[in-house]
Amino acid sequence: MPELLSLFFTPFITALFSFGQPGMQRRQALILSMIMPILLLWKNGAWIGEKATYAWIPSLSIHFYLSIDGVSLLFLLLTAIVIPLLVLTSPEGNQKLSGYFFGTLFFVQGLLGGFFMASDLVLFTLFWEGMLLPAYFLMLLYGGEGSREAALRFLVYMIAGSCLLIAAVLALYFAVPEHTFAIEELHSTSRWVFAVFMLAFAVKTPLFPFHAWLPDAYTRSSASVTILLSALLSKAGIYGIYRIGIKVFPELMQEFSFLLLLLAVAGTLYGAFAAFGQTDFKRVIAYSSLSHVNFILAGLFAYNSTASGGALLQAFNHGITITALFLTVSFLAERLHSTEFSAAGGLSKSARQLCWFTMLFVLASIAVPGTNNFIGELLILFGVFSLNIWWAVLLGLSLIFSCAYMLRFMHKLFFGPERIKIEDLTGRERTAFIVLSFFILWLGVYPSAALNLIQAKS
Amino acid sequence: MTLHDYFSLSPLLFLLAGSLIILFIESFFTSISSKLSPWISLTSMLAAALSLVYAPRSDASLLTPWIEQDSFYKIASMLSLGIGIATLFLSDLVFKQFKRGRGEFDVLLLTSLMGLILVALSADFLTLFLGLETLSLSLYVLVGYMKDWERSSEASIKYLLLGALGASFLVYGIALLYGAIGTSHFATLSKSYQTLSGMQSISLFWGGVIFVTVGLCFKAAAVPFQFWAPDVYEGACTPVTAFMSVGVKSGAFFAFARVFLLSFNGFHPLWNEGIALIAVITLIFGNLVALRQLNLRRLFAYSGISHTGFLLVAVASPGPSAVPALLFYLIVYAAATLGAFAVICFLDKNEGGVYIHDLKGLSSAHPYLAFLFAFSILTLAGLPPTAGFFAKFYLFKTALEAGQLWLVILALLSTAIASVYYLRLVAAAYTPSVQGQELLSSRKLMFGAACFGLLLFILSLYPDAGFLG
Repeated sequence: MPELLSLFFTPFITALFSFGQPGMQRRQALILSMIMPILLLWKNGAWIGEKATYAWIPSLSIHFYLSIDGVSLLFLLLTAIVIPLLVLTSPEGNQKLSGYFFGTLFFVQGLLGGFFMASDLVLFTLFWEGMLLPAYFLMLLYGGEGSREAALRFLVYMIAGSCLLIAAVLALYFAVPEHTFAIEELHSTSRWVFAVFMLAFAVKTPLFPFHAWLPDAYTRSSASVTILLSALLSKAGIYGIYRIGIKVFPELMQEFSFLLLLLAVAGTLYGAFAAFGQTDFKRVIAYSSLSHVNFILAGLFAYNSTASGGALLQAFNHGITITALFLTVSFLAERLHSTEFSAAGGLSKSARQLCWFTMLFVLASIAVPGTNNFIGELLILFGVFSLNIWWAVLLGLSLIFSCAYMLRFMHKLFFGPERIKIEDLTGRERTAFIVLSFFILWLGVYPSAALNLIQAKS
Repeated sequence: MTLHDYFSLSPLLFLLAGSLIILFIESFFTSISSKLSPWISLTSMLAAALSLVYAPRSDASLLTPWIEQDSFYKIASMLSLGIGIATLFLSDLVFKQFKRGRGEFDVLLLTSLMGLILVALSADFLTLFLGLETLSLSLYVLVGYMKDWERSSEASIKYLLLGALGASFLVYGIALLYGAIGTSHFATLSKSYQTLSGMQSISLFWGGVIFVTVGLCFKAAAVPFQFWAPDVYEGACTPVTAFMSVGVKSGAFFAFARVFLLSFNGFHPLWNEGIALIAVITLIFGNLVALRQLNLRRLFAYSGISHTGFLLVAVASPGPSAVPALLFYLIVYAAATLGAFAVICFLDKNEGGVYIHDLKGLSSAHPYLAFLFAFSILTLAGLPPTAGFFAKFYLFKTALEAGQLWLVILALLSTAIASVYYLRLVAAAYTPSVQGQELLSSRKLMFGAACFGLLLFILSLYPDAGFLG
């Protein structure tokens, strides 16, 4: 039996186990969530090239076909890092925290893992849409005020975005003479099929202007769900554009490069401006995420290997950084019982450690050299620069804006006259931050760790 | 007719025997009939299902012109019997709650199943008509079974009148077809169509085809022949509504499959385009109106109309994979609808039925039932990783093979609308309730619910329709 299957089934088994134990404690869940990172580290780079194929639905010629290349592995690692952190930091105050919560979380992890490994287009679509449901349930059951409407809106947007996917998948199937769903053999130049796939990916990532669901979904949900959406589900969109957009529709990606870049650059700037105008600090981070994700998309749309390599690296980095920032926000929200800037001020005096860690995350977010985002954004800018200098100039502007809104974020929360005293980090929170800081600094000084994976097969 | 031929008809005979025995007990030993009759019907249905597997094919010249014992018949009848058994489980609570004799209910259920099986078995328009009317006649009574519910009697009358209208369309169409080609046998339809000559017989033929189609659309509740469905579904008691939404629909589509997919396949593109048009209108209408419904029986009427639209997609796409796609969709639709209705039955406390807000608090009162409900509803919505996704996948693959790209695109867009009301149901079941949720209790129904959950789970994990071809 291929060892690859262990990566696929582990999260589902842990999910079932958790559903069976409604009274599950955080400690047990943490142990379960650590199985995946251990499995991944066990073979590390040797996972690349693993494959597993079984006939699943012969009458539709659908295969249960999973495989791992460097890029899959990178995203699997990101998932394996973020999920244990979510388990570690899910807020204590939520009395509903239970086996159901952890089980659903592991279920999403399993579907994400399947998505990152799927090499059969139907399987890919199945996981792509399947991960929405548990995410929806997490929003529905564990969200804050107004989360129900936000959850419904999120899901309806997602379904509307990908409702034509079945037609597109089938069209690809009939387009190749050998009639197969194996992704590596598919190729198409049909514009409407391309448009359907891009729409689905654009809504989930989200690419400007398909982001209308984002502000509410990110701010109304609980921290765990927000991180799940911003650090992992949005990466599924990016991975989709890489795996399907660039590999199956290379000509069309090139043809529509200008239009897509235009949207991505507009989104980057729009997110930055919107972030600057917010009075709610969770919304600042939500919009900053929009801006950064569109930056990554610009790298993919530039359609050259430097930029797309940078984009994939940056996707990983953004996953780490946004997790750190949303965790900061949630720790603050728990202490302040509000996410308004006006409720905070001068927190550096009472919460020193929190302040230092946040400073590091803010610096990482604005891509200061030595942090992970620096290399990623630099590579994207290089790639875009070689395409057209003006795109690079516009994208570069967003870096300046991000300094402005992130420093404003820092300033309003931690500096200035002290308005309120809060507790400093607890041990659990500190552990999460140390792990995140480690990845931020490690990839800041040694990005080859991730870049080697990306280049391993591309 | 030899003994062999009686054996070959044994599924029908078992059902007949069961209903006669119950009728006998109901007439002479009224006191024990309510206790015994569900067991007798269960036994006869199981016996029918078993004999379906082992019954030999008949080759008597008395039977073969009228019936066709192929694999379609076996699968369709198995599905019908499954629906019948499920309805038995569903009706358990209603009779506890409303104190009504149940012997007649079971007799009518068994006879309507005979009708369904006869439709699946038919090789001639006369057997088809006989089957459809046996099904409908039992249902006219079943809809009005709750005699003292005002809306129930109204629904029954309405169903009788409109059902009769539909039947008259059908029978008129059959007559015209007979006039055109001189036979009512399916197998000769195609051949006679090729040799038709003369304006008169061609117009007779087309008139017949159109009337038959309209008649079947009545039964299937396709727009614009759907107007009876919402009131009838709302007026009937919940298990009957469940049986109608899967049973009658199956009956209508068995008939469609028998006539237009298995015998008279793709005879003219114009007919397929017409069906595609009806499918699109049905899908859009059903889903848009369902958005505004609060009563669940009514909501399921409209959602059922939209599923008629999906099933018509297969009818509009002649090809070798149309019948398996249709059957697989029917199986998944039946399992999911019955699963959802099983949960609704637990909440069904008065004759008005269950409203969306009654679902609140379900998840904390009974997590398993809430999960089954969500699973069923999401299957109906066709969201992966449920089997509903693959049911749609088969349909759309069939449609694309037949070149119906626009039909597929419009149908997929309508699923996005449908997801809104389906998700609203799921969200309601997972909303905490202020006054708490009290469920009725029934062990039999709980067992049934567990079976539906298991079935949906298996279908989702292994959604291969290969065995239906």
